[in-house]
Amino acid sequence: MTDQVELAAQGIAERVIDLVVQALDVNALLLRIDVNAVADQVDVNELMDHVDVNELLNHVDVNELLNHVDVNQILAHVDVNQLLTHVDLNELLTHVDINQLLSRVDMPLLLERVDVDSVAKRLDIDEVLRRIDITALLDRIDMNDLVGRVDIDALVEQTDLGTVIAGASGGLVTDALDEVRSQAVGLDQFIDRWVARLLRRKDRGPLAPPALLDAGAQS
Amino acid sequence: MTVHPPTAVLVSLQRHYAGSVSRFTAFAIDFIVSSGLFAIALAAISYVAQVVTGHAIAWNKHDLIIGIASVAWYLLYFGYSWATSGRTFGMAVLGIRVIRADGAEIDPWRGLVRALAFPLSFLFFGLGFLGILVQREHRAWHDFIAGTVVIYAWDARAARLRFLAREALPSASPDGIARR
Repeated sequence: MTDQVELAAQGIAERVIDLVVQALDVNALLLRIDVNAVADQVDVNELMDHVDVNELLNHVDVNELLNHVDVNQILAHVDVNQLLTHVDLNELLTHVDINQLLSRVDMPLLLERVDVDSVAKRLDIDEVLRRIDITALLDRIDMNDLVGRVDIDALVEQTDLGTVIAGASGGLVTDALDEVRSQAVGLDQFIDRWVARLLRRKDRGPLAPPALLDAGAQS
Repeated sequence: MTVHPPTAVLVSLQRHYAGSVSRFTAFAIDFIVSSGLFAIALAAISYVAQVVTGHAIAWNKHDLIIGIASVAWYLLYFGYSWATSGRTFGMAVLGIRVIRADGAEIDPWRGLVRALAFPLSFLFFGLGFLGILVQREHRAWHDFIAGTVVIYAWDARAARLRFLAREALPSASPDGIARR
């Protein structure tokens, strides 16, 4: 008996609700609601605390979303220069790992795309040279090492430098002295070798006073 | 006989102990030059004496005065040269010079001692010079007494360049490139 009454009451209630909802003008009702007042009472932060944004984003198909975005259209509205004035490039660069960035760059491919001739044409060599501190540059060059790499013999033989040297320093006396000295040194060494052989010396011993040997090595 | 050591050896020999041939040749030149100067000096003195007194002086090499004068002259010639520049005329020709055994420049006093000790090396048939031939640093008795050594001092690199320049001279062209 009780069950039948409850079922009847439930059916009546559902029917009444349907009738009320059908009779209700929701649009008119919403017009009467002060949405701003409602919004004022909503604590958005409190609400956001309950939202798992990551979980939410997992359900968003970003690619699909981006397919609908006309990036060019957006960028057309962006004043890049104005944007860049707000960007602290130095600060930005401090966060950039240049080495990491460069390691990801395919340098050969990059260089293939560079029109070096074009770059060179646009280069103001005079301006570049004007900005170079030649003195500082030269300070960093080991001149002795540089000169040491020059094949002086080949230079004299292959160029007119030999003519200059011959004209500046040549002379009968000088040539005669060079010849006499060379002959004497050659005979010195010849005799030294024989003396060392007769005395059965295995090592030649000191070649010069140590101080002069050190000086010779440094010069 | 022509003996030309390799260029690299020539250049690297600068500052090394000078060998026996260079030193003996230098001494031979010095002996000829100093003896010639001494003979010229005697001849000049004889000429002046003849002009002034009308009597020529006949020099005898066995005279005691000539002996003393010649020894003094040789001491002066070698001592002054070594004391002031570390080399005599003959040594300059051969490109060798005297320095201290430790490599420093010779001082006047050491040069004088070397000149005074020099005759000692002639004793016992020149035994004192044997060290130049067999000793590792080519030092004679007078070198040990004075604490000196003799080294090559001539610029072999410059000599080499002059040699190359002479070789290149006939083949050098107006554009600056030698034709070989």
